[in-house]
Amino acid sequence: MQHFIRRYGTLIGFVAILVFFSVMLPGTFPTARNWLNITQQTSMLMVVAAGMTVVMVMGDFDLSVGSAASLAGIVAAMMMSAGQPVWAAVSVALIAGLLGGAFNGAMVSLVGILPFIATLATMTMFSGLAFVVSGGKTISGRAIPEEFGNFARSGIPLGEWGGVAVSLPNLSIIAIAVIVAVWVLLEQTTFGRRLYAIGGNMEAAHLSGIAVKRLRLIAFSLTGLAAAGAGLMYASRVASANPVQGSGLMLNAIAAVFLGTTMSRHGEPRILATVVGVIVLGVLDNGLTQMSVDSYIRQVLVGALILIAVGAGSIGQKRP
Amino acid sequence: MSLNKSALALAGVLLATTALGTGAAFAQAKVAIVTPYMAQPGTQFYVEAFQGVADENDWDVNVIDTAGDVAAVISRIEDLVVQNVDAIVINVDPTQVTAGLQAAKDTGIPVFGMDAGADPLLVTNVTSNGYAMAAETATYVADRIKGEGNVVMFVFDAFPPVQVRGVIADAVFGNYPDIKVLDRVTPDVSDGGIADSRAKMEAILAANPEPGSIKAVWAAWDQPALGALQAIEDAGRSGEGIVITGIDANPQAREAIAAGGNFEASVAQDFSGIGAATADAVARVLAGEEILQSVTYVPTKLITAANANE
Repeated sequence: MQHFIRRYGTLIGFVAILVFFSVMLPGTFPTARNWLNITQQTSMLMVVAAGMTVVMVMGDFDLSVGSAASLAGIVAAMMMSAGQPVWAAVSVALIAGLLGGAFNGAMVSLVGILPFIATLATMTMFSGLAFVVSGGKTISGRAIPEEFGNFARSGIPLGEWGGVAVSLPNLSIIAIAVIVAVWVLLEQTTFGRRLYAIGGNMEAAHLSGIAVKRLRLIAFSLTGLAAAGAGLMYASRVASANPVQGSGLMLNAIAAVFLGTTMSRHGEPRILATVVGVIVLGVLDNGLTQMSVDSYIRQVLVGALILIAVGAGSIGQKRP
Repeated sequence: MSLNKSALALAGVLLATTALGTGAAFAQAKVAIVTPYMAQPGTQFYVEAFQGVADENDWDVNVIDTAGDVAAVISRIEDLVVQNVDAIVINVDPTQVTAGLQAAKDTGIPVFGMDAGADPLLVTNVTSNGYAMAAETATYVADRIKGEGNVVMFVFDAFPPVQVRGVIADAVFGNYPDIKVLDRVTPDVSDGGIADSRAKMEAILAANPEPGSIKAVWAAWDQPALGALQAIEDAGRSGEGIVITGIDANPQAREAIAAGGNFEASVAQDFSGIGAATADAVARVLAGEEILQSVTYVPTKLITAANANE
């Protein structure tokens, strides 16, 4: 019984939240349009959290994802405002994220700095770089090509719903693609199984012949790439870029992965559990806004729910 | 054990939410303010004044602060659209939240700008009139120097809201045949604008050493005015009666004006007035009226030694 709760408590809580909002907001919450909104609203967090899951599988962290997202948005926006084509700007921004992630990986695996400290340092570095590149300004308006902003505003039409045209937003499609890619990577490949082995016992993984350093380097690179992707999605959604706009993503991504770990057998991160974690956070924002709950109280509730979910899991595990 | 505890706690949280969220009666108009900038002092003045009018009208006002997150402003606007509120007020650059504004437009929910910037997707944007603010100080200068003498202008044409101020001052001074614009300076603002304005003013003072050869300094915002003041005082020429004016009436400028030196006047925006006028615009639209002006201007106030401490 206790095991059942520990394993499924969060899921039960999630369903309870869904039922609660559906009862309180019957006309608006459980509608296709609202759920398409939620998938779009959480898409950026989804991509960052998916990337975060990759390093957290190894028991590592990346605190620099928010700054990397901001930096990627700034790099792309500066290139576009200098007249470069959108594809070139997006490519360079993604490469910047990949390189930033590889730098994190090098610091952690080759130099041997604790991930918390290494990525705390690169977090301020990336953030500083974003300010340097942009001169501290928000890049918006005519500097951003219309097609870049329009991307986040369009999607695949799904038809009419209650007289309003609904569509599957492009940002949601990207998020789903990233989830599928990370799921294949972590759950279906040797690479993924080795990351879990490292997370289980790094020493044992090393002794059994797994190239721990190389794999950690690659994993951090992928996290950086995902962060840059999310930064570009954010920039497209607001059709602008400023040097701090991704900073809120980091803590939420870690929170989502932690919420997810309460659903797995041994408390290890799983990508599909992370997805549920992200949706919990997104649903709370969406539902509580619709119920006109004060935005500051909303923050308190989100924190409380994380404590409840993770706390219930810890109690069940009966740690000494 | 853990089931009971966590279930109880969850129930508590949800119950609290219910209590907090269901205060609104059905007949009330639902109006939401969404801003990423609640922590900025000006925003709090707007919101407080808005809520004053909202209370009179018995609206259910939901103030949403996204704490600097502009994408979250779009998300919250989408939520409000799904919730079908009666009106939405934003306090953020509308070009950054077009996705949300479009969603509101598609369902016919009016969106108002509270010092946000003009945008075709807004019913109206309520703000201060930059042209009028510049006219206040430029005519103050022209009147004080009795329509004749040399004037130094500090402008910044690269930033549209400040550029319009320079245009008006040009027109006012150009209308007096005996006023000559000695120099039209664009200071380097990377360090805040005071230091470079001071350096530029020192050079102009050195080039015009005769007392009375400079009658006034008109600055398009307060920082260059403060820099010019420092330069004039340090050059020992504060006794020549050079008139300095700024715009915005920031605390440092108010202090200088109250001290009674060369810095004589600036213009203050009425933040509370903007909040109240936004609420009035919402009330008019909720009453079925159509607002034709895409921008609604709220009067500003000339600040001199007489009222600088108010």
